Amino acid sequence: MSGAQTSLTPVVVRLKLSLLRNGLRQSSGRRAAYVASVVVTLLFAVLQLIGLIALRGHAHAESLIVLLVAVLALGWAVMPLFFPSGDETLDPTRLVMLPLRPRPLVRALLTASLVGIGPLFTLCMFAGSVIAIARGGAAFAVGAVGAVLALLVCVALARAVAAANVRLLTSRKGRDLAVLSGLVVAVGAQVVNFGAQRIGASGLGELDPLGAVLRWVPPASAIGAADSAGDGEYGVAAAQLALSAAALAALLWVWARHLTRLMTSPDGSTLQTAERPARERGSSGLARLLPPGRTGTVMERSLRYVWRDPKTKSAWVTSLAIGLIVPVFNAWQGTGSVYFACFAAGMLGIQMYNQFGQDTSAFWMVAMTISSPRDAYVELRARAFALLLITLPYATVVTVVTTAMLDDWGALPEALGLSFALLGAMLATGAWTSARFPYSIPQEGYKNVAPGQTGLAWISIFGGMAAAALLCAPVIALTIWANVSAGGGSWAWLLLPGGAVYGAGLTVGGLRLAAPRTAGRLPEILAAVSKG
Amino acid sequence: MSGNAVRVQGLWKRFGQQIAVAGIDLELPAGKFIGLVGPNGAGKTTTLSMVTGLLRPDQGSVEVVGHDVWRDPAQVKARIGVLPEGLRMFERLSGRELLAYTGRLRGLPGTEVDKRATQLLDVLDLAGSQHKLVVDYSTGMRKKIGLAAALLHNPEVLFLDEPFEGVDPVSAQTIRGVLERYTASGATVVFSSHVMELVESLCDWVAVMAAGRIRATGPLTEVRGDAASLQQAFLELVGAQGRDAGSDLDWLGGGAR
Repeated sequence: MSGAQTSLTPVVVRLKLSLLRNGLRQSSGRRAAYVASVVVTLLFAVLQLIGLIALRGHAHAESLIVLLVAVLALGWAVMPLFFPSGDETLDPTRLVMLPLRPRPLVRALLTASLVGIGPLFTLCMFAGSVIAIARGGAAFAVGAVGAVLALLVCVALARAVAAANVRLLTSRKGRDLAVLSGLVVAVGAQVVNFGAQRIGASGLGELDPLGAVLRWVPPASAIGAADSAGDGEYGVAAAQLALSAAALAALLWVWARHLTRLMTSPDGSTLQTAERPARERGSSGLARLLPPGRTGTVMERSLRYVWRDPKTKSAWVTSLAIGLIVPVFNAWQGTGSVYFACFAAGMLGIQMYNQFGQDTSAFWMVAMTISSPRDAYVELRARAFALLLITLPYATVVTVVTTAMLDDWGALPEALGLSFALLGAMLATGAWTSARFPYSIPQEGYKNVAPGQTGLAWISIFGGMAAAALLCAPVIALTIWANVSAGGGSWAWLLLPGGAVYGAGLTVGGLRLAAPRTAGRLPEILAAVSKG
Repeated sequence: MSGNAVRVQGLWKRFGQQIAVAGIDLELPAGKFIGLVGPNGAGKTTTLSMVTGLLRPDQGSVEVVGHDVWRDPAQVKARIGVLPEGLRMFERLSGRELLAYTGRLRGLPGTEVDKRATQLLDVLDLAGSQHKLVVDYSTGMRKKIGLAAALLHNPEVLFLDEPFEGVDPVSAQTIRGVLERYTASGATVVFSSHVMELVESLCDWVAVMAAGRIRATGPLTEVRGDAASLQQAFLELVGAQGRDAGSDLDWLGGGAR
């Protein structure tokens, strides 16, 4: 059997390369996307490398480097949870039918995981880190060992996390989680951005206490060893390396154990049904407050989907977050204006776009019950109501909060009026483009547009937004007039009711225009939204 | 009931170069259990989609219980129930919520919807999973909840696209029982399938489709003719007789060597 064991590693590596190649063969779009991502990643790696080398000799370089390594390792740990489908060899359940022993399997899978852009990028980072902090030949030698060790720890960490969570990752909940990953990345980027700004303001010295801890945490300790060796503290360097090596061994052990369990027990899909006890739920309290008939029914379904459908939920959370962050953070930094509060209305209004695409091919259930423009009108109006139930209070609160932070209460009525007018315009254009330019939203993965419909989505969203801005022009003009002309200020409060009425009028008009188009194009809409 | 449940004239549909349905004329009698059979890619799903108003034909007309599907959608949609194949449902609703939603969308009073939903969930053996999200249902459970949603408003004609595909025998038997009871009361079921044994045991009327055309239509006994089974008759109709496994696989079987 020893012959079979030694040949497993190249087989798995070749499997990974074939999977990669075949994935690219599927479509030219995918190939282009992959090549583009490789180029961007490599460019990024080179820039990082240059940046890190430039850091060489800086007093606090070590603190920054160990922090970077730790963040990167964290990324490796979290990645399999959010990108489970990224690597098919990562799913050991696919190998379950083959007569394999855990030890050679771990070796083979570990080697295979070192193939790819991710590990290459990480290695570039680690190499740059070593160059930045190593002083002297011994330090470079230690650093070289440290960089390889750190990479192995990162890869083993990702694999161990994936193996430990494979049941979650292959279940529906895991896929739901993956859809929310974009959000985590966006929020994480925001946090990094603010952290970087603070460091930029007060210098790298702020990081020193954190660095002192992290240089003992694997895999950052393996890179930190290069710094210790450069200072002549060879004992410390050896201990740091040993710590990372021990971490690697522990991770491999955990991984091998989970692999064995996975290969010898039934997979998650068959156990799933027995898991959750059925929760008894009556009709929710909200439902009783909603209007009767189609309006309430559609509203209830729409609101449930905001919470339950991962795609819809992540779109909403993004809109809510950006709608709040832009005006409030700008006000906080003293660069804001009350009018930025309109961002909340604008962002949330986007949710009215591509209403039927959000239904996916389940739209047929709606189509089967629409037989007149009146039905379509009630359907669209109910969806707008559901949206307003969240948007109206939210936009109001954001506007009031922004006003309070800027202490510009005189401008509150006109900012609110402008918000309501914009919201109305977004609902109107959203309803119309939903009927005229529907497109599919793929349910799996991170894309929000099905291949081949990107043009449609652009026309729908950007054309619609431009139209919404145009529709708001009268209110914008009146706001400017009220601020510029001599006696205009005393009339500014009228912009609140005026904006609200104008917005409501726009919405009704938009729905009336959209309804006959929806009713007349049901099969075409269904075909357009069924591609995902 | 008498007359035709469905009347199709000169129905065409092309997708790019490919002709999916090539000029179909079809009359399906009311009150029958009707099977639309044919191999994969024969155009069954395309035909059913056009008959139910989910797909616009390039040419031709469709009447369901005397009303034109495209000119009089209100009359038709109120009278038909549909279980399409390959289309999603609102799967982030629980089974019961899905029925409540569908019934109210169809304009039935809320209390009546809830009463019917409870009975359908019971009969279809879904009561235990009624609060689970449909996205977590198995294939058989999905077909059953889809059937419940299609039956909720008591349609005159029920269109089912591959209702038994991927369904376990127990669920299949349940679905069968419900459909037999439904047709016994005078309603019409039109369902597509490529499993001949199933069609033979269920239907009293069949239409055979192949390559976008109707090859035969009529009462089961008539279409079957002198053949031993519908399967045999079907293979003769679509001209797939006489294909044998051949001798190429002579190494297969007989234990490992």
